Amino acid sequence: MCDIIWCKECDTVNYLDPYYFWNWEGKIKCAGCENVYYIYMIQGHMYKGPDKKPGEKPDILPVYADKPNDGYEQILPGTPGKTRPYNCLPRHIYLGRADMVKFSARGRPVRGWRPQPPSTGVAGSCGFTWDIQKLSPEVWQEYQEKIKKGEVGEW
Amino acid sequence: MKDQRVTRIEDLPGPKSQGELEEMKMPYEEYCRKVFAPGQEKTKPESLKGIRWLSTTMYIFTPHSVANLAELGAECIKVEMPRMGDPMRHTSPFNECYLYPLHDSRPMTGTGLGFTNANPNEYYISMDYHVPEMKEAFYRLVKLSDGLTECYRPGTFDRWKQSYRYLQELNPRFIYVWGGGFGYGPKVFGGSYDILGQAHAGLASVTGFHEDFGGHCTKHSNWCIDWYSGTQITVAILAALYWRRKTGLGTMIEFSQVQAATRCLGYTVPLYGRFGIVRQRWGNWDTQLCVHGIILCGKSDYPDEPNPQLKYEARYAVVSAFNDPDFKELCAIIGRNDLWDQYKTLQQRVRPQAQIAIYKALEEWAADKTRSQVVKTLTDAGLLAMPVMNDKEVYECEHFRQRGTIRWLDDPVFGDVLIQSGYSCGLMSKTPRRVNWIWRPVGADNVKIYHEMLGYPMSKIEEWYEKNLI
Repeated sequence: MCDIIWCKECDTVNYLDPYYFWNWEGKIKCAGCENVYYIYMIQGHMYKGPDKKPGEKPDILPVYADKPNDGYEQILPGTPGKTRPYNCLPRHIYLGRADMVKFSARGRPVRGWRPQPPSTGVAGSCGFTWDIQKLSPEVWQEYQEKIKKGEVGEW
Repeated sequence: MKDQRVTRIEDLPGPKSQGELEEMKMPYEEYCRKVFAPGQEKTKPESLKGIRWLSTTMYIFTPHSVANLAELGAECIKVEMPRMGDPMRHTSPFNECYLYPLHDSRPMTGTGLGFTNANPNEYYISMDYHVPEMKEAFYRLVKLSDGLTECYRPGTFDRWKQSYRYLQELNPRFIYVWGGGFGYGPKVFGGSYDILGQAHAGLASVTGFHEDFGGHCTKHSNWCIDWYSGTQITVAILAALYWRRKTGLGTMIEFSQVQAATRCLGYTVPLYGRFGIVRQRWGNWDTQLCVHGIILCGKSDYPDEPNPQLKYEARYAVVSAFNDPDFKELCAIIGRNDLWDQYKTLQQRVRPQAQIAIYKALEEWAADKTRSQVVKTLTDAGLLAMPVMNDKEVYECEHFRQRGTIRWLDDPVFGDVLIQSGYSCGLMSKTPRRVNWIWRPVGADNVKIYHEMLGYPMSKIEEWYEKNLI
């Protein structure tokens, strides 16, 4: 679901990034004019707003906007002063932080953190195995300690 | 030339060697464990080895048609858009349970676990195949392959001169699969999602409780029609491969997802055809059998767990006691012999008013019991009862572990992952399905395919990469 704020003054449709706004309260600036709107979303539903808050400082810009009555003029993500960049990075629904792990539920290493070392191959190609001892020695070390403590299971 | 007058031991029925004799003498259970042997699948041959398949697919539905081939041993090449890859990599779940890396150019992005099972064992190349410069490489792949599965809007590949009409000119043995929402017809331009398949085919309209009981038409939480339709495509592919063995000719498979989902509806369509009756939802109960449904018990099996899915939801149980003696026994257990007096035949029990009264009585009886208590009481009495299991219980279920249904895989690139292994799709004694790797980064096999297989020089590959063509 992607909610919108349709600014009737400048006839601009501001699209809100659905993932970011699932649980969010704050002020967002219209991409087409200087209007600021207050919204309060709970689980993707517009609980309060949008209420106009002229002159107040916005927390964030919309991710994308267009003007459907004006020949579909588009304001793409990352337009300075109008929209914010969209980095295609889904976030943790509450914290806005990645929930990155180094070990699976049974305590063995998994490549669930970033950034990873770049591949050595041409055109993004990479080998068939992840040599954890060589490429991620600190995780390997942590893994050895987990084995010693008996925190690594079969299931 | 065999001498017909001589009886040879190998022509006689029965075991031919000491090993086979031992197998014949084994108890059946032990025999099954020996021939299927989960965990030993990599010591056995692959049935589709030698088949090469291209996958220009996205999300779950069409990729799964190729995943089935790949698990059976076909060499499958997944072709993705440069830098980005299959959008399913970025789709779910939403809380960053991601595996890294995705691609050198995107160090902060990974592949989500939603991608699992849809593309295992495949080689991953990137190619922007609608660009004229890449046409030659694409056509050369087609010449060296047995088939392709694609999922673009109908006619898109035709516009790009790579539909079946064009590719069969290059390779008459080529098997071409289009999979998508509607296919040709009045809704040709509609795209597809699993929910669309469930809704448009009428499946969602008979799923869930009736509005009279506070229910609504319901889609399945997971994309079951995507998985199901993908498997249906694989069936068509295997038939097409067999047809090609006989005729030497390829074929085109056009597969509409909304069409496939109508098949799950069983008697719904003929029922309408004969009587004009529109089938209704009946939720967790059954229109033909009673008792044969899911009931809510009063207490959770995990009252102290923080996870609400365990703390509150682990309260449902399947109860089946539809024939007369079983129903009589059930009524005695719950202390409602009056129900037995009232509903002595199945015909009486399946009527809506009877079902409402019977299930209400069952849930009242279960109101002060946990799900385990309910299941134990009924099972001890010889009735069929089973808890409605959640993921945790499926993971811990010894039956699934022994049969290899849920397995830990040490993925060579991404490490330790829990998957529904190839064994979740049925066991094969001689040529079992297997998962070698869950997936690979975008373009991970560019050099292997473009250079080692097609013979393009490394300088060309680097040039394409610079231009974002691969």
